[in-house]
Amino acid sequence: MPVSQLLQVRDLQVEFRTRDGIAKAVNGVTYGVDAGETLAVLGESGSGKSVTAQAIMGILDTPPGFVTGGEILFQGQDLLKMGREERRKVRGRKLAMIFQDALSSLNPVLSVGYQLGEMFVVHEGMSRKDAKAKAVELMDRVRIPAAKERVGDYPHQFSGGMRQRIMIAMALALDPELIIADEPTTALDVTVQAQVMDLLAELQRESGMGLILITHDLGVVADVADKIAVMYAGRIVETAPVNELYKAPAHPYTRGLLDSIPRLDQKGQELYAIKGLPPNLTRIPPGCPFNPRCPRAQSVCLTDLPPLYDVTDESGAPLPGRGSACHFWKEQLHG
Amino acid sequence: MGRYIIRRLLQMIPVFIGTTFLIFFMVYALGDPVAAMFGDRAPDPAAAAQIRRDLNLDKPLWQQYLLYMGKIFTGDFGTSFNGRPVIELMREAWPITLRLALIAVFFEMVIGITLGVISGLRRGKAIDTAALIGTLIVISIPTFVTGYVLQYLFGVKWGIAKPTVSADATFSELLLPAIVLALVSLAYTTRLTRTSVGENARADYIRTAVAKGLPRRRITIRHLLRNSLIPVVTFLGIDIGNLMGGAIVTERIFNIQGVGYQLWQGILRQNAPTVVGFVTILVIVYLLANLLVDLLYAVLDPRIRLA
Amino acid sequence: MPDPYDQRPHDERNSATELRPMDLATEEAEALERHEKATPARSLWGDAWYDLRRNPIFLVSAMLILFLIFIAIWPSAITSGSPYDCDLSYANQGSQSGHPFGFDNQGCDVYTRTVYGARASVMVGIFATLGAALVGTLLGGLAGFYGGWWDAILSRVTEVFFSIPILLGGLVFLSVVKSGSVWPVIGFIVLLGWPQVARIARGSVMTAKQNDYVQAARSLGAGNWRMMIRHVLPNAVAPIIVVATIALGTYIALEATLSFLGVGLKPPTVSWGIDISTASQRVRNSPHALLWPAGALSLTVLAFIMLGDAVRDALDPKLR
Repeated sequence: MPVSQLLQVRDLQVEFRTRDGIAKAVNGVTYGVDAGETLAVLGESGSGKSVTAQAIMGILDTPPGFVTGGEILFQGQDLLKMGREERRKVRGRKLAMIFQDALSSLNPVLSVGYQLGEMFVVHEGMSRKDAKAKAVELMDRVRIPAAKERVGDYPHQFSGGMRQRIMIAMALALDPELIIADEPTTALDVTVQAQVMDLLAELQRESGMGLILITHDLGVVADVADKIAVMYAGRIVETAPVNELYKAPAHPYTRGLLDSIPRLDQKGQELYAIKGLPPNLTRIPPGCPFNPRCPRAQSVCLTDLPPLYDVTDESGAPLPGRGSACHFWKEQLHG
Repeated sequence: MGRYIIRRLLQMIPVFIGTTFLIFFMVYALGDPVAAMFGDRAPDPAAAAQIRRDLNLDKPLWQQYLLYMGKIFTGDFGTSFNGRPVIELMREAWPITLRLALIAVFFEMVIGITLGVISGLRRGKAIDTAALIGTLIVISIPTFVTGYVLQYLFGVKWGIAKPTVSADATFSELLLPAIVLALVSLAYTTRLTRTSVGENARADYIRTAVAKGLPRRRITIRHLLRNSLIPVVTFLGIDIGNLMGGAIVTERIFNIQGVGYQLWQGILRQNAPTVVGFVTILVIVYLLANLLVDLLYAVLDPRIRLA
Repeated sequence: MPDPYDQRPHDERNSATELRPMDLATEEAEALERHEKATPARSLWGDAWYDLRRNPIFLVSAMLILFLIFIAIWPSAITSGSPYDCDLSYANQGSQSGHPFGFDNQGCDVYTRTVYGARASVMVGIFATLGAALVGTLLGGLAGFYGGWWDAILSRVTEVFFSIPILLGGLVFLSVVKSGSVWPVIGFIVLLGWPQVARIARGSVMTAKQNDYVQAARSLGAGNWRMMIRHVLPNAVAPIIVVATIALGTYIALEATLSFLGVGLKPPTVSWGIDISTASQRVRNSPHALLWPAGALSLTVLAFIMLGDAVRDALDPKLR
């Protein structure tokens, strides 16, 4: 994989030390994003996609969560080696995050204007009055109607879609280099989902920032992402440019995910579902973690953990940006 | 807002009537106030009957109640059996108890909230455990025990404070009694604050505040405390009413001539007008404190709409 | 006595602000939890019991309480004297052989009186709690279940009781009672204590009633009583037990306070509150006569409050 300039995560390891044992939530994740690029991180609940994002942001709940290895290079600097104060200054200003549930993620007792303006007050030392004007500007930018009148309103007074726009505005406030959006549309109605997603994509195009889009929804990804990383049990199991992944997945797990999307042309047929459950992270099975659920599993899968193989086409020429952590990626890809 | 207040005031009327009637019933119907007037002497039947007539005690209970309430609204709380108008007793007693309660609430706020915030932020650390155990012990020791123990230690053994309070009830004299009065509530305030801070610290919006790159101090004060203290403030509001009741014990121990002292004296001597008069005012104070708390709640939490 | 944990002053207000339990735990951590919980499924009660057995606070308080109940039933097991066996010539003397706690101002043995005093406190605590829990559950449950007029009336009545400071009510009510036994005190505490339970019972019955499976049972034609007993009550019981256990400790303290003020238990009933009151008059010279019963009383209240805390932690799924 080529090294990305903006953000490069290398071999990241995160574990949660709980009463019931150590849960290995992230086990050697490597991915990168460039300016103007959108990386979609795809996976089920418990795949480690959100934990990775929290580790990048430095908002991991410690304890119980601990980063135990790897590095997170942001503009060439390892975030994990930075001091606390230095890192705080990166957060919000250069690196911003959009959360899933805007209602609970916004402070219920402060007006949205205050919460937006706070970014300017803290990071740029702006006066409260100027910050409020900036907040109105931001609300206009994410197309909240009557921004001037609503700047003093509280989060609960907005609709779900409008609240998520406020979250986006907050992330955009200081024109960060990279935004991590953690399931930004999951909590919204389907019609509103598309609007919010379009807005996010458009704002990204305008500003040229990098975007990491964390989701479990393959449908959301197709239109906006440039490349995809699929995660399973704290590992990346497949990476690919978005179109190639949809056309020809190189990992049985990705295949399963694609097959479980309902399609209109298959009306009447039974919907495919990946059998079984994701593994317990305190007791990840040896070998390939996907082996208990994998239709292709052989004896090697029970013993050997597959690395992320470079994927090639049938002639053996490398396919740039493609990788698969499956012993049988060739069979999966080329049949 | 105005309509809400009016509606709440109207809702208070049945509660006010119910409460005062209950007390009235206990004092006048279950007890025998006239017999009590004579103390240990056998009452002279003719004199007793005369007194009954004068005080409307020969009428049915509900009439007595109505007559009494009618007088109260003209400011006439009747005359205590020892000849002094009840309103005069109130004028002396209320300022003292009010001072005592306010000092107590001050301690509750300052010490209780500080301790609660510290232990809520340092969950599981030594100071948190100490606060938890300490408050548990304080809650378990009844006020009259702490009262005597502290009076003995500070007042008698070490001679730091005056063991009893003079009729003037000056500020410095009231300090020790106020601490005794506040102690149990203070422990509850600490625990409530701790729980509230602990819960809010794990809330999503705190994670957002961290992700915004806000300095830790600002997150704690502007985001965490602003939310965590809402239930604490309302508890303190309601507690003012409770403190007035709790003053009965404290005032007896430290010989403070306040509301609790008058009530206790009144009850022991079955001095009916004093008891009913003081209780009526207490109930009004309690109900108004509750209304105030509700209004405060709406001010502090924009999600609450008063309707 | 106020308990901020259970203070639900206005139901409307609470339902409007009660946010769903928020947890920074990400979906990953939640998924972890799911796995943990997936290992043999236990009921709420099974879980609670599992937690309790491992909670040192519970074990200590439970042992203390068992001991208290034991000496309440059988005080002569650990003392040979009689609480009424007093000799004025010993008045206010300190500790001596055979009389480890010394004598009070009547010349009674403080140790014996302290042991015998447990009975009144334990009886008041247990019977008052049972009474308040029964009456409160019944009335609150009915109001929550039927709603409408029942509910409106009950709400007003509880408000009336809530606006009388409990100590004040006790003074007024008990001052007209001549008997000094435990029963009037128990009766009074039940009278002023039930609304607290009723409020909780009403709330949890209303919540339980909304549950899908209860709605389903209703649509299948289950009768009201059957529903109440089979489906609604079991769900309401946990919060009621929590409130009742915590209240038990405060009831014991209340009884002692009332006895101290001279309106609760009266001699010849042996009570810590009375003994503390008597000893308080001579606290300057012989503090020991006050400290022993006061210590016993505080320890008893502490044991019950700790038990209540442990039970609440075990039964409140929100805190898990």
